[in-house]
Amino acid sequence: MTKSVAQPPAVALAAKPQSVSLAGKGIELSFGRNKVLRGVDIEAPAGKTVAVIGPSGSGKSTLLRTLNRLHEPDSGDVLLDGRSVLNDDPNKFRQRIGMVFQHFNLFPHRSVLDNMTLAPRRLKRLSADEARELALAQLDRVGMKHKCDSRPGALSGGQQQRVAIARALAMAPQVMLFDEATSALDPELVKGILALIADLGSEGMTMLVVTHEMRFARSTSDTVVFMDHGQVVETGPPEQIFEAAETERLQRFLSQVL
Amino acid sequence: MRLNAAKLFALLATILLIGSLASLSLAPPLAADNKCKPVGEDGAMALPKKLSSSNGPQEDKYTTADVEPLSSVNVDALGLRTPRTLTVGTQPGGPPSSCMVGERYSGYDNELLRAIAAKLGLRVVFAGTEFSALLAQVATHRFDVGSSSIMATEARRRTVGFTNGYDFGYFSLIVPSGSTINSFDDLHPGQRIGVVQGTVEEAYVVNTLHIEPVKFPDFTTLYTSVKTHQVDAWVAPAMEASKVVRPGDTAFVVAYTFGGGNFIAYCVAKDNQPLLAALNAGLDAVIADGTWAQLYTDWVPRPLPPGWKPGSKAAPMPHLPDFAAIAERHHRAPDEPPPPKSTLAQLRDSFFDWQLYKQAIPAMVTTGLPNTLILTVSSGVIGLVFGIALAVAGVARAWWLRWPARIYTDIFRGLPEVVIILLIGLGIGPLVGGLTNHNPYPLGIAALGLTAAAYVGEIVRSGIQSVEPGQLEASRALGLSYNSSMGLVVMPQGIRRVLPALVNQFIALLKASALVYFLGLIAGQRELFQVGRDLNAQTGSLSPLVAAGAFYLMLTIPLTHLVNFVDNRLRYGRSTGPQDPMDRILSTTGQEMP
Repeated sequence: MTKSVAQPPAVALAAKPQSVSLAGKGIELSFGRNKVLRGVDIEAPAGKTVAVIGPSGSGKSTLLRTLNRLHEPDSGDVLLDGRSVLNDDPNKFRQRIGMVFQHFNLFPHRSVLDNMTLAPRRLKRLSADEARELALAQLDRVGMKHKCDSRPGALSGGQQQRVAIARALAMAPQVMLFDEATSALDPELVKGILALIADLGSEGMTMLVVTHEMRFARSTSDTVVFMDHGQVVETGPPEQIFEAAETERLQRFLSQVL
Repeated sequence: MRLNAAKLFALLATILLIGSLASLSLAPPLAADNKCKPVGEDGAMALPKKLSSSNGPQEDKYTTADVEPLSSVNVDALGLRTPRTLTVGTQPGGPPSSCMVGERYSGYDNELLRAIAAKLGLRVVFAGTEFSALLAQVATHRFDVGSSSIMATEARRRTVGFTNGYDFGYFSLIVPSGSTINSFDDLHPGQRIGVVQGTVEEAYVVNTLHIEPVKFPDFTTLYTSVKTHQVDAWVAPAMEASKVVRPGDTAFVVAYTFGGGNFIAYCVAKDNQPLLAALNAGLDAVIADGTWAQLYTDWVPRPLPPGWKPGSKAAPMPHLPDFAAIAERHHRAPDEPPPPKSTLAQLRDSFFDWQLYKQAIPAMVTTGLPNTLILTVSSGVIGLVFGIALAVAGVARAWWLRWPARIYTDIFRGLPEVVIILLIGLGIGPLVGGLTNHNPYPLGIAALGLTAAAYVGEIVRSGIQSVEPGQLEASRALGLSYNSSMGLVVMPQGIRRVLPALVNQFIALLKASALVYFLGLIAGQRELFQVGRDLNAQTGSLSPLVAAGAFYLMLTIPLTHLVNFVDNRLRYGRSTGPQDPMDRILSTTGQEMP
């Protein structure tokens, strides 16, 4: 394996893209008769990290999926860099939004490297060599380069999640969405992943992070959004949310999780 | 792969069993005499003595007064499926009238038809079919001519047209040894009277004797059932029965009768008057030049019934030797109960006749095996491609894709394969005759493939649905479209999981390919079962079927073990190297498929 993945032109795509803002306005979504999102307003400003907290079933994960249009909202709008994207080609739009899942969702029938290169090769038409260099650079960044020929099943949960983050980053997204990225991990592996996410944020990536890790939300995010019953109940900087909760619902939630 | 002790034991037991049975036949086998050969004048039979002549030849209103001259027959205006070629359907299980010699459809009926065709300047192509389907196939122009000792009855004349007669039939009554039945008068309702389905014997038993018979698809199966006392008696066409029933069998002929008093003729589609006239002209021509008499003497030598002669009324009376006198000289026809053979010897003759194996195996290797493989592999490919399409449609979001896939699957999975084969072969066949050149082979492949598609579709669909939704979600989140995600991420995983079930389906398809014989195949198209079946019909021994079975096992057993191998591999990973990543998924996924 070569060490010289640093700066050849082929890796230009891996250069840090311009971060932009992502926002949802008045988003409503129902599954059948079940109203899951009831007019959600949320914004992640360019380069900022927004933590979304709330009890299970409050609609956090559904909100993330609506923001990258894995679900289409019944009403409301999704704005990327201030512009509505609901009329864009959803596949093109999703290439600009990276997403990381609770259960990693790596493709078990492909090697780590193939997981990384699938989308860049198919969607960005990179050559095999270009995609490989790009993939190795991203794997290096998350400390997983040495596992590039393994199958995902041979990796630990923490390693799989690192690969999943690298896979999302390989498409050079402008916004990253994290859906309870550490919930399925053994406790000793959580810290490393959170550090990795925090690093991304400090590099200026716009991020929406759904999390149960209150310490992480408090220490790393610029804004904390508390959701309950498909609505945003409170929004504010971490100190305000955790020290001076205004609503009774948030106070009760915090007393349960802290 | 590990062979555990139990498996090993089962294998050894099987080998020992087969070996001990086979060793029985190291004793010199009975001469495997082929029933499908001309016996010649010396084989003449007298008219049966116990003939119930109450139903002698009747007033005949169908035989034509004369025929048009051969020279006026326009061979291009006969409405033939293939120009200047007679496509003939025949049921080759009735020696000496209709049977096979190697690859050649022969016997009295078919050789006579060849002679007639030669007079007319026509080529002849034969295809074997079931007797019960033959008339329908002629009526729907699947065949130009039906040739299989068909009695020209009133009932049949409503379906097809008949030429003038070329033979005359009696029925014989065959009973197992020890039976109390001695004549047709001893037959009563409640007895199990066997007949071949769709024959005049069936009509005779139903309409004249007023007994509901037990119907069989062919002589061979029926005669085996008589010998083993599974039916009480068999009403059989006399000439065929004289060939099938052999001295030493545990069944014998006890009586004869003139059936409904109808002659035997070739049938053609009702609306094809020109062909009928041409065949009648040809028949009179072969009678006039002595060919008829020669073939009759060679194959079915016995006196003509009083008051009947072949061909039109204007045809000359053929010159035949005095069969009755010849038969007298040879002291033939003592229909006495023979000493029965031992059960062991019967078993040996039925299942382990090496002579017959030797005879069967070359045809199975050169004809049966390739055809079985062609049928199975091509229908397998159709089934796989179409099945995957059905599976994808079955999990699609659009109802107009899901619903047709659902309905298709319900229908094709819900019908017996043989019904689908007959419906497509006989129903769709005439509609697409131009495309397939009236060859039923592609239709058989289509029927098998379309049926397999329904099963493959369900198997693949279950595989697709066993893939975690997160896989599709993750792929789409990367920006891949729904179709790319299905094709690159979901399908490969889903299909890997159901590989064992797919191989099982392929085995089922291999076995189902035997059913294509229902459509009527020419000699070179016969698959393993049909080759064995024809030889079985020629000889009455089950050995050719055992040989066919051995060929199927040679194909299916390795496949069965391939399934186990693939299954283990997917479950537990490769025996060497690092843990297989599929384990984690597969260990949580049920592998049982419908």
